[in-house]
Order: sequence, then C-alpha cells, then structure tokens
Amino acid sequence: MRWHKRLLVAGVTGALALTASACAGGQVRGAGGTPEPAASSGGQPAATPAAQANDSTFVYAPNLDVVTDWDPATSYSNELVALQNIYEGLTRYDSQERKAVPRLATEWTSADGGKEWTFKLRQDVTFHSGAKLDAEAAKKAIERTIDKKGGAAYIWDSVKTIEAVDPSTLKFTLKYPTPLDLVASSAYAAYIYDVDAVDKDGKSDAGTGPYTIDSWQKGKETELTLKAYEDYWGGWKPEQYKKVAFRVTPEITTAWQLLQKGEVNFVQRLNPQLFEQAGATPDVQTASSPSFQNLLVLFNTAKGPLKDARIRQALQYAIDYDGLVAALKGSGQKASGLVPEGLLGHVSGMEPKQDLPKAQELLAEAGYGPDNPELKLTLTYAQGDEDQKLLVTLLSSALKGVNVTLQAKPMSWGAQWDLGKKQGQDIFVMYWYPDYPDAYSWFLNVFKSEDEPQFNLSYLKDSGIDAQIDSLPELTATDQLKADQAYQDLQKEIIQEQAAVAVPYVQKYSRALTADVEGYVDNPAYPNVVFFYDLKRKS
Amino acid sequence: MLRYLIRRLGQALLVVAGVVVLTFVIMRLVPGDPAVAFTGPKATPEELAAAHRRFGLDDPIPVQLLDYVRDLLSGDWGISLHTKQPVRDDLYLAFPASLELVGTALVIAVVVGIPVGVLAARFKTKFPDIGVRLGSVLAVSIPVFWLALALQLVFASTLDWFPIAGEYDGELDTTSPLTLWTNITIVDALITGNWPIFTSTLHHLVLPALVVAAYPTGVIAQMTRAALIEEGGQDHTRLERALGFGETSILTRFALRPALNPVLSLIALVFAYSLVNGFLVEAIFNWPGLGRYAADSIRSLDTPAIAGVTLLVAVMYVLANLVVDILQGFVDPRTRAR
Repeated sequence: MRWHKRLLVAGVTGALALTASACAGGQVRGAGGTPEPAASSGGQPAATPAAQANDSTFVYAPNLDVVTDWDPATSYSNELVALQNIYEGLTRYDSQERKAVPRLATEWTSADGGKEWTFKLRQDVTFHSGAKLDAEAAKKAIERTIDKKGGAAYIWDSVKTIEAVDPSTLKFTLKYPTPLDLVASSAYAAYIYDVDAVDKDGKSDAGTGPYTIDSWQKGKETELTLKAYEDYWGGWKPEQYKKVAFRVTPEITTAWQLLQKGEVNFVQRLNPQLFEQAGATPDVQTASSPSFQNLLVLFNTAKGPLKDARIRQALQYAIDYDGLVAALKGSGQKASGLVPEGLLGHVSGMEPKQDLPKAQELLAEAGYGPDNPELKLTLTYAQGDEDQKLLVTLLSSALKGVNVTLQAKPMSWGAQWDLGKKQGQDIFVMYWYPDYPDAYSWFLNVFKSEDEPQFNLSYLKDSGIDAQIDSLPELTATDQLKADQAYQDLQKEIIQEQAAVAVPYVQKYSRALTADVEGYVDNPAYPNVVFFYDLKRKS
Repeated sequence: MLRYLIRRLGQALLVVAGVVVLTFVIMRLVPGDPAVAFTGPKATPEELAAAHRRFGLDDPIPVQLLDYVRDLLSGDWGISLHTKQPVRDDLYLAFPASLELVGTALVIAVVVGIPVGVLAARFKTKFPDIGVRLGSVLAVSIPVFWLALALQLVFASTLDWFPIAGEYDGELDTTSPLTLWTNITIVDALITGNWPIFTSTLHHLVLPALVVAAYPTGVIAQMTRAALIEEGGQDHTRLERALGFGETSILTRFALRPALNPVLSLIALVFAYSLVNGFLVEAIFNWPGLGRYAADSIRSLDTPAIAGVTLLVAVMYVLANLVVDILQGFVDPRTRAR
C-alpha cells in the first residue's frame, strides 16, 4: 500500500475510533423543543395587536450553567432563576412594601411572641404532577427539606413542629421567635413541592408555579426551556409569555450583540460601558436597582493595632466613599448603614463621608500619623474582584498620606476565610447578603459574639450588642415599628460607637432588556430572577 | 514495528502518569479548602467536616494520591464542586463539541496550511512567499480572543453573514430533532442524514473554526515551507532537477513526502494547543464545549473539574502524539530505529 493510502486508512480508522469512543447510542436531543425568541430581526419587534396571543419565547441569557441541582430541597445555586418560576413558597417578599406578601398562603397570623405561626393555604392549587396542594403536602415538603439538611435548609432551624390542622391550615410551632413569613419567602429552601414527584434528572418537576420544564439539555447553549403550566392557579392572559428559554452566554459582549439583534430578551448584567451604550440604544431598555448585597470592611477589634477604636474610626474616615462609587460607574451605590434599602431596618441619612483631617486627628490621638511611627496594616480581599480592588487602591493611597501602609492581599474565598477564622489580618473585606429577606442575617452572623469565629470576622464581642441582636426576631415578628428602631440603634452602635465595620457601597444590578418587554421589576430578594409570569409583550 | 509500538506506548503511559501526579500536586497546592468550594461560602463547621470526610481530605497526602490514582483507574474522576456531578460525565458532555470545533479547525489548517506552504516554497523570496510569511506570522501572533471578537463583530453582528453565537439554530431541536450516536453534532447530523442541523452547524462553525484555525494554519504553512526548502537542497532533488523535472513537480512529487514528516508531528502538537486555545473562542461564540466548563470550573475554584480538564487535554495530547509516532513509523521506517 502506498504511504498516502496508508495515511488515509489510518486517519479514517482514527476518526472511527474517536467516534466509537464517544458513542452515546441513539438518544434524541431536545425532544421538548428549543423555540426561538420573538421574531424581531434586527431588534425590530414584530407588531402584535392588543391582547393577541403571545406565542414568542422569552429568552434569558445567563452567564453560567442554568441548573446544577434540580432538588428543590437542596438547590442553592444559579438554578434559583428557573426554580423561582417553577416552584412557589408560602409567601413572596415585596421589596417595595418591605414585607412578605401572599403566594401559596393567602393569610397568616403569629402568636405567642412570634413562636407560633398559622398559614391559610390557597385553594384550587395543583402541583405540576397533578396532585392537589393541601396542608399535608406542604408539611411534607418542608419536612423533607429540613431532613435533607442541604443548601439553605437551615432557614427552618427554628421550627419545632409542623401541623396540618385541616386541609387549608398549616401551623408551625417554633423553638424561638422567628419572623416565619419572611423565612417562607426565602429565595432558597422555601419551595412547596410534591415530595413524591421530585426528579433529580430534570425531566419533570414537582412545583406549583406558572412554568414547568419543557426540556433540559445539560451543557448545551440553550440549556433549559420552560413552558406554561396550563392549570396554574393564577390563570393565563393572552399577552403573557408562555415559553421561556435560557441561552447560556458567558461573554458579556456576545450577550450584548445577541440582545441588540433581538435573539435574547434579557441580559442579567452588563459592564458600565455597555450599560451606558444600552441606555442610548433603540429597541433596548435598561433597568438598574440596588441589590441586598453590600460590601463590608471588617476591622479586627480583637487584636493588633485596630484594637484601638480610634484607629478604626480613622480608617472609616479615610475611605473615599464618593470617589469609589463614582469609579464603580453605576455598579454600586453609597450605602447608608448596614441594612440595604428595601429591608426592614434600613436607615436613611447614615451615608458615610471621607474626612482625612479627622482621620489624621484620630490617628494622632492613637500615636500614629505623619509625625509618628509608621502604622502597617494587613488587608485581605477577594481575588479577581475588580470592585474590591478599586476600594483597596483608593484606601491604600489615602492612607499613605497619613503614614499608614496597607499590605493588601487578594485571596481566593477559601484561603481568605481560613486566615480570617484565625484572626490573621487587620482588615477583612467581604460581601454579605441575607438568605431570606431579613436584616437579622447581618447581625446574627457577622456581629454576634463567637468563640470560634465563622463570619464574625471583626471578632466583636459585646454582651450588650448580643442581647440586642437576640431581641430582634421577636420584635420583627410582633412589632415592626419597634424592630425598625432596634435595627437603627444597633447600626449606630456597631458602625459609629464600636467602629467595627465600614460599609462603602451596596452593589447595583445593571440589566438590559429588549424594548418590547413590559412589566419587568427587579426584586433584590431573588437575585437575578425574572418572574416571567409578570411580563408581557408590548403591543 | 511491534517493539517500536510498545516503546512508544510505554513512553505515553509514563507521560500520563506524570501528568496525574502533577495535577494532584497542583490541586493540593491551591490555597484554600476544597470543601469550602463544595459546601458554599456560608457552610457550618459540621457541613465542612462532612465534606472533608466525603472527599478524604483528612487523610495523609500519599494516601490521598493513591486513592486519586485508584479512582482514576476505576473511571472515577471525582465530583465537580460546582455542578455536583461526576467530572467524567461532565467531560463526556462537553468534550464532543470541543472536538468538533478543533477537528474542523485542524482540517482547515491542513487544507490551507500545506498548499500555502508549498506555494511559498515554490516562489521562495518572491511576492507569494513574502505574502505567505507575513500572513502566517500574523495568524500566529494575533491574540485569539481579539480575532474572535473582531470576526464576530464584523461578519456576524454588522454584515449578518454568520450567526453571532451557538452551535446550531435552537428551533431545529423542535422541527428536526437530532438522534445522538457520537454526541458530536455534525457527525451525528451527517450519519443520520439530518441536513437542516448539518447545514446549520456548518454555518455556525465557520467563524469559531476560522479563529481556532488561525494559529495551526500559520505554523503548518511555515513548517511546510521550511521543510520543503530544506528538501530542495538534498541530493535527490538535484538529481531530479538534472533529470529535467520542473520545480513544481519536484516539490509536489518528490520533496513533499519526506517534508511532511515534521509537519505531521506538528499537527499533533497544535491539536492539544488548539484545544486549550479554543476555550476562549468557545466562550465568545457560546460553543457548548470544554471551554465553558473549564471557565466555570476556574471561576468557582473547582479543583476536581480543573484537574479533569487538564488530564483530558494531557491524554489527548499524548494520544495525538502517539498516533503521529505510529503513522510516522509507517510512513518513514527510519523513525522506528530512533
């Protein structure tokens, strides 16, 4: 055989071998269908007469895998966006009203100082499996979630017993007072589902929500499609979207081009430059709103030079808050206190300001500053986070002027946290967000005394503050006005008196949508979630 | 030939073993606790301890290495920390699309690179040669992400000649569902006669494959040119010239065969390189391959997944080299003796 013939044979054999090795054996891909979005070529939305059936697909462009866990009990990742449209909880949080509003429960009451909660369930609700929702089914779902102990199941830690009093009444008895209406509105682990219909392979689902799984193709570009659940208790109007697709688009620039072409309808994040461009682009609309995630600059109150409260206060004054927010170009807004806007306990008028003379004065009192010995401080922050890097750069240069040298180390979360648990730094920078829409999360986790620090990385130990924190859940459950006041007092104590933390900014979401979508409202309690049922296509 | 094969196979296994040890060491050298990445940033000490036990992170390092090798041999490549699925299953889903992209790119590189190299050698130091040399230097040195973004912006976004992103039109899953045999879309579409998906995939492949092909085309053209020019100075070429063969005939009929030997080795080298180089291209064109998986894994510090991708790429590199070595053994018996 001549050499080139041999080469050809070898090549064909190789190709066949590779083919055989990857053999998947005759499965049909995408049987559920992967519909295209609205026929709006070149970004021109097609005209739809008023109340005409909306047969277009709403296409969401996430930058990461859509689903990593289909179990509503343990899910604790990006699939939140899909699951919040497939599953529902007893309540949903309304960030405008700063309270939980009805969802599968129509009304609820609490008694015994927030230790007993009774929820009345909505009638005529069916699961996608066909089963009927009643108190017994809801009880089973929450109990299964608690038993699984995965994801955010700990939100139910206060629950002692659950009782299905009658088919439409669910009663919780708690170990300690907790605002259970807020817990039930959590973004994770609060889903009510048919325990007998959970399918971890994503072929079907067990929810009651407006949408159900159409197809799931792990690893594919159009990873997930959803279709309307025809028997949804809320009913359907012609102009609502009946089909939803998730098209994974890791690159922001690609997402932006797809949006301009009308090939996707929603991009969950744009960088500041593209966001500005989007604002001036016809056929595209933008939405920007603050999240529930803020940046905490935690000072080591337990050891090292920052044990002196005056130096901590000096550091608070040294941060260029306005400069930082300006440099963030819309991806952050100045924080006012520890609790972000939209949550009970938010205080307005607590926005900090840079005051370098005051910082210098405080440092001088503590024996540092320009005419005194140099002060060296170590700081750890998240590797790869450009916003945090910006803070560090600005703080570092401001401190240089007052004879303070900042040794900043960018680290992976695991390494930074390990070091933090050993009190290995003077300043720890991290984001915090609540698991359910309750400001208590910041105080319980970050500022309550801990013998072995987990998230109390300012190492604050103050029995007075602990007592105030302990009183918060009962107040939230029984007297919201008093709770609001208690949160305000605590924030003043922790930020101004103790100077344990500086809060430079709250992250902001920069969304972009095609102009033909109506009804989009960002709800920071459910990060990146679009409630597709609330949307309609403009006529 | 058998001894040659055994020797080459032994060397390949040695390289793979080295890579296994290296990936394990790197996994353990990365600062931070893998259990934290698995359990999430707000894990309780109990959950962390459970994750430690599950992944054997409390065992001594040599024991962990032995367990890792034993698991690998039994087909267990670990559990991905971000998808919570077996890494092997994840790779099985992602790899075929990458193979499709890089395979197409290499076909382009060979089909374009070799003739262009011959052309440059034929017209050495003349205009075509200068053009080819300039072109190939450009193809090799342009950053791949820049080229991808530029082609996407010009040919997809502005001119609308090609799709912006994706592997094929999503709506074809409804109108013309594909039956999977190999998981490589274009191959499956071809063998099942699914022409709508076949043509759509080809259309979607053009831009990303051209971008991935830029580097290999450049080096293959350069190498072919250099090897042919070297062959031009050999005794046999002088004899052929004396016998009255024309320059083109000498190059294509007599010089090309021995000159292709180093080119073949080069193809094996650029295959693995293109696989990794293609990761960025995959991200820009939403190509559902290893690139997206690797990027997500790196972003979430998913060490088992990163190790899995590394190992797979290393194995592919070794395999490609082995195949070329064997082919060279057939093509040129002298190599068997080396």
